[in-house]
Amino acid sequence: MSARTVAVVPPPADLLARIRAETEWSLAHRLRHATQSVVARAYPRVFGMLREPSWLFFDLVFPILGMSALIFLLRSRGADEAWISATILASALLTFWTSVIWMMAGQFRWERDSGNLTLYITAPVGLGSITLGMAIGGALGMAIRAAVVVLTGTLFFGATYGVHEPLLLALTILLGVAAMYALGACLAAFFLISGRQAEHLGDLLNEPMQLLGGLFAPIRSLGIIGIAAIGILPLAPAADALRQIAVPQLAASGLLPVPIELSILTAMLVIFSVGSHFALAYIERAGRAGGRLLTRAD
Amino acid sequence: MQTPLVIERAPRPFGPLRGVAADAARSLIAAARLAWAIEGNWAEPFYLAVYLIVRPLAFLGLFLAVLSIGGRLDPSSIGFVVVGQAIFQIVGAALQGPTHALLDDRERYRTIRYIFATPSSLLPVSIGRALVKAAISAISASIVITAGALLGMPLRATGIDLPLLICVLTLGLLSVVGLGVALGAICVQLRNDAWGYPQAVAGSVFLLCGAIFPLDVLPEPLRVIGTALPITWWIEGVRRALLSTVSPGALGALSTPSLLLVLAVGTLVIWVAAPRLFTAGIDRARDKGYLDRNTAS
Repeated sequence: MSARTVAVVPPPADLLARIRAETEWSLAHRLRHATQSVVARAYPRVFGMLREPSWLFFDLVFPILGMSALIFLLRSRGADEAWISATILASALLTFWTSVIWMMAGQFRWERDSGNLTLYITAPVGLGSITLGMAIGGALGMAIRAAVVVLTGTLFFGATYGVHEPLLLALTILLGVAAMYALGACLAAFFLISGRQAEHLGDLLNEPMQLLGGLFAPIRSLGIIGIAAIGILPLAPAADALRQIAVPQLAASGLLPVPIELSILTAMLVIFSVGSHFALAYIERAGRAGGRLLTRAD
Repeated sequence: MQTPLVIERAPRPFGPLRGVAADAARSLIAAARLAWAIEGNWAEPFYLAVYLIVRPLAFLGLFLAVLSIGGRLDPSSIGFVVVGQAIFQIVGAALQGPTHALLDDRERYRTIRYIFATPSSLLPVSIGRALVKAAISAISASIVITAGALLGMPLRATGIDLPLLICVLTLGLLSVVGLGVALGAICVQLRNDAWGYPQAVAGSVFLLCGAIFPLDVLPEPLRVIGTALPITWWIEGVRRALLSTVSPGALGALSTPSLLLVLAVGTLVIWVAAPRLFTAGIDRARDKGYLDRNTAS
């Protein structure tokens, strides 16, 4: 039996060049693509929400109702009016935290159950870019809501603030929100592999974290638990620093000096960002191998 | 000539109940068992217990931390907030129960069409689901009240007024489940964010019913609305059954028999209106095809 020879025809040079151009991306191309992905994912978070008035309504009504209840409680106990200003600021911060729980941590799980996660996985986009887009869009969208909460609270309850260092205030908000969303990105991976527990996990991140974060009362009053929380939970240093900067009468209630709390927030931002990168990569790999990545929880 | 086949349904009693009442009771119990399977078996019993304990205690801690602002926490003054916050957990669950049951069955499990294909009515099914949610919240409420008592909350010296407690709990639960049923019939008509409306209603009621602060702190129009809510008097009734302290302002001024009368009348009004509203709402949703849609919300 004679050996058969198969002639291998090399692909045309122009096709090879095209394939190479499309698959071997330069760093600039990759950065541009990642930026486009981030903007594309952030866009619906800002404009999509503005187009859906009912979402805006619910995003505003819950924090405003909760804030009002706490302010009436404070008034009924004859608390210092400075705490009313602090409660309004805390409620604004809470809008970001709620978004971190449900629109960051719970998002991939929700996308999986609604069938969108398959699109994310098959698209030539990394989960990291999508997560960053979710965070930036979510933070921008929530900033509008937080501003409305502060404005409403201030007008209805006559709160006053004493911001002597607006840049420091802006930096605190920026670092606090960034650290919270970075934690949300870490939790997104964790929620994705959770089954029916995810919803309840979200609930557990709500009131218990508001307590541990010293959102509505001085974190100092929590003692050793408060000190531990300030090193783990971004809500804690953010709320404490915000109170010290915007309501000077309460500066004495702060647990740590503002610069130290800003350093903690910066460290959290870096640690949670790096952690989320590895967590998402791990979950994607493990989910593909175990077949759980795209399986509906219920 | 062929004689027509007549199938007569054998009457199936349910305890002392007969006919429609027996069917309704059977549906209610089946729905309650289903609700327990949904709400109670999402985790190992240990994790479920942790969840049922941690969240309400954290909620309590949040309010106690606020109460401690400006000085030390006085245990003798926390009873009002502890009982109000504990009972409101049942209110929230019962208000949301029927709506979430309808929406879960429509969109998540997609079983509402099968319920329609059975002789069951959706009303007992929704009530059964709401009652189990309320019962699970009642566990959390008991934990909160026990924690309050351990912290020094002043209980009645002569012991719990059990007849009053049973009376107000029954009336209060009926009133809030009735409101939840009516809310469910409205929410099933909505396209967007139907899940969020019961929570928004619960949040508004929390503000109005004097759960954590006396009604007198509210502006006059809101105070009037709060006074008209049966939930306000339910919570106040439980306070009177458990605590030795008198609630401040308008809440404490009403005599206990008057409180029971207000609660009973409110519950009666709700139960005259709620089943009719529910039936009309479900019929409308069926006509418009809303029972078979998925809003992906």
